[in-house]
Amino acid sequence: MSLLNVSGSPHVHGRESVSRIMLDVCLALLPAILVSLLCFGWGALKVLLLSVASCMFFEWCIEKFLMKRESTLGDLSAVVTGILLGLNVPSSLPWYCIVIGSLIAIGVAKMAFGGLGNNIFNPALVGRAFLLISFPVQMTLWPKPLVTRGSLFFNGINSADVDALTGPTFLGAIKQGGVEAVSNFSIMDHFMGTVGGSIGEISALALLVGGIFLLIRKVITWHVPVAFLGSAFVFAGILYLVNPAKFIAPHYHLVVGGMMLGAIFMATDMVTSPMTAAGKLVFGAGCGLLTILIRDFGSYPEGVSFAILIMNAFVPLINRGFKPHRFGVVKEVKNAKA
Amino acid sequence: MNQLQNFSKGLLRENPILVLVLGTCPTLAVTTSAINGFSMGLAVTFVLAMSNMFISLLKNFISDDIRIPAFIVIIATFVTIVDLSLQAYIPSLYESLGLFIPLIVVNCIVLGRAEAFASKNDVFSSIIDGLGMGIGYAIALTVLGMLREFLGTLSIFNYKIFSGDGALMFIMAPGAFICLGFLMAIANMLVKKLK
Amino acid sequence: MQKLKSTLPNMVIVLGLIAAITSSLLALVYIVTKEPIAKVQETKLNKAISDVVPGLDRFEEYKVKSAIGEDSLTFYKAFNKDGEYIGTAVKSYDNNGFNGYIEIIVGFDENGNVIKDVPLKQGETPGLGAKMADTESHFITQWFGKNLSSFTPKVKKDGGDVDAITAATISSRAYCRAMDLAYQTYLSQKGGNQ
Repeated sequence: MSLLNVSGSPHVHGRESVSRIMLDVCLALLPAILVSLLCFGWGALKVLLLSVASCMFFEWCIEKFLMKRESTLGDLSAVVTGILLGLNVPSSLPWYCIVIGSLIAIGVAKMAFGGLGNNIFNPALVGRAFLLISFPVQMTLWPKPLVTRGSLFFNGINSADVDALTGPTFLGAIKQGGVEAVSNFSIMDHFMGTVGGSIGEISALALLVGGIFLLIRKVITWHVPVAFLGSAFVFAGILYLVNPAKFIAPHYHLVVGGMMLGAIFMATDMVTSPMTAAGKLVFGAGCGLLTILIRDFGSYPEGVSFAILIMNAFVPLINRGFKPHRFGVVKEVKNAKA
Repeated sequence: MNQLQNFSKGLLRENPILVLVLGTCPTLAVTTSAINGFSMGLAVTFVLAMSNMFISLLKNFISDDIRIPAFIVIIATFVTIVDLSLQAYIPSLYESLGLFIPLIVVNCIVLGRAEAFASKNDVFSSIIDGLGMGIGYAIALTVLGMLREFLGTLSIFNYKIFSGDGALMFIMAPGAFICLGFLMAIANMLVKKLK
Repeated sequence: MQKLKSTLPNMVIVLGLIAAITSSLLALVYIVTKEPIAKVQETKLNKAISDVVPGLDRFEEYKVKSAIGEDSLTFYKAFNKDGEYIGTAVKSYDNNGFNGYIEIIVGFDENGNVIKDVPLKQGETPGLGAKMADTESHFITQWFGKNLSSFTPKVKKDGGDVDAITAATISSRAYCRAMDLAYQTYLSQKGGNQ
């Protein structure tokens, strides 16, 4: 066992703090936010600002009036929850849905469990899942992007009416019409982000840039995203080999829908993912498998958020199965009696 | 313990749903609207009071080894009476409660009161206990039904309060769990304050 | 009085007595409620049929082998007060709604046009597919007066003529299939019997 592995105490104190990590996450999300502003105009900004503001407001209210303890707004975790919630909904979502989603995310998923660090489920994802089930009509209207791939970076932020045009997403089209229905979708559009979808999930490229930033800053490790994307790729590949007429090729799965956003930013949440490297691999692989299962066989077109929430519930179990070694303890020799 | 206390303990202090957490399966399933919760509560109240009365009357004839089958037979009788009368006289209610009326037979709270109270106390206290517990159950179900109906459809007792769509999740099973959790928290807070 | 001991004769007698008393009580309740229950069910069926074939006075019930599946559908031939034939109500179903089974009843006039249609049983999602239970909604009324040989019973997304319920395509499809089954079976019995 190498001493460089993450282990139990004693620890050397680093300069990380909750607020620095949260700030890094915010910075890493900037490219995705930028692309969404280019694609959806001010509508996306309105959704993001409102969800951040209402998440912070509810956190403050609950701590002040219900829990009667010092406010933890300063650790920026409510800001990150707000941004992630905003990135997980379409830009045309009515304001009251966003406020209700924030209340559920902060009030039910986070504060009811005792605040940051005690929550079992990722708050932003609980908010999204709640909205998806509660307001299925509003949550599945996807505004079309205002720009095409060629002009993505040349038009500036567009202020046109975002509600003007809506269209099906890649995954929605498959659910409705099968593999043929998506033959005219371009994988490059999905990679760059000039497609309809939730605000933050559209551009795989921007999310990857953010993910690399987080890796460099050591906010996340590679285990969860790689296991997530890898298992999704392998499983989707097996299905594709079995029946290419019914299932789409695995590389599409990686760039469409919320896969990148989920694998890089949602599944890697420190509180709701396992502690050890092996545990993280299991967790990520489970997320990938469930995502493909839901996408290909479920009644919802997209399964990333549900897959992560389901695996969140398994985290305590995974943590039990993959305990870190205690420092200085040598593995007991087998057959000690003999 | 006087009869007033005996009656009122079921309302809050030992509320079957909010404090004892007995019989939650039908609770979560039928409370999609206030009227459903209310009528289910009334049906359970009737069954509780009647079965408590009979079990308390017969308690000396029922020896220990056969008490569970005897209790179940008595409870099932009254449940079937409710089931048939609803079907005959209030068919619309029967349609919305449907399956859950027969399930009152295995509702823990009915057997629980028979075992814990009626088989040890006199007839009058047993009836009072059944009524108190039943009304506590009905109150919890009605409040839960009102809350879910309001959040889910923005109406109460089918009367539209705001226009527009509510949050559908509250009419479905997950919303039932969330609402019940918060109601329990409030009930526990009240119980603590009363102490 | 002392509590009875758990001896075998004691237990048998007590349980037997309790069973006898409760079952006679139940028998009494059953006899009292039997007629009202039968009446309720009859009026329910009557109402369902007259909903889809207005002017109903009496009906003849018979079974017809399903044109698509293996089982059979129930037909109700409806007559008005003067004994004239005014249409046929068909009870049809589909097993693949969003939450499984849905049951509908459709009235056809003598030319095979839909008079009216009503869903009888459905467990679709509240706020989405369950909107079909609103018999005045466009989704239900759009069928009135249509002949399914020209009005294709498929949602527009699948190349048909039916406006689906918003965000509830699966429920809408199930409804369309149930309508189609009713129509096909209606056609087959028409060809065979008359």
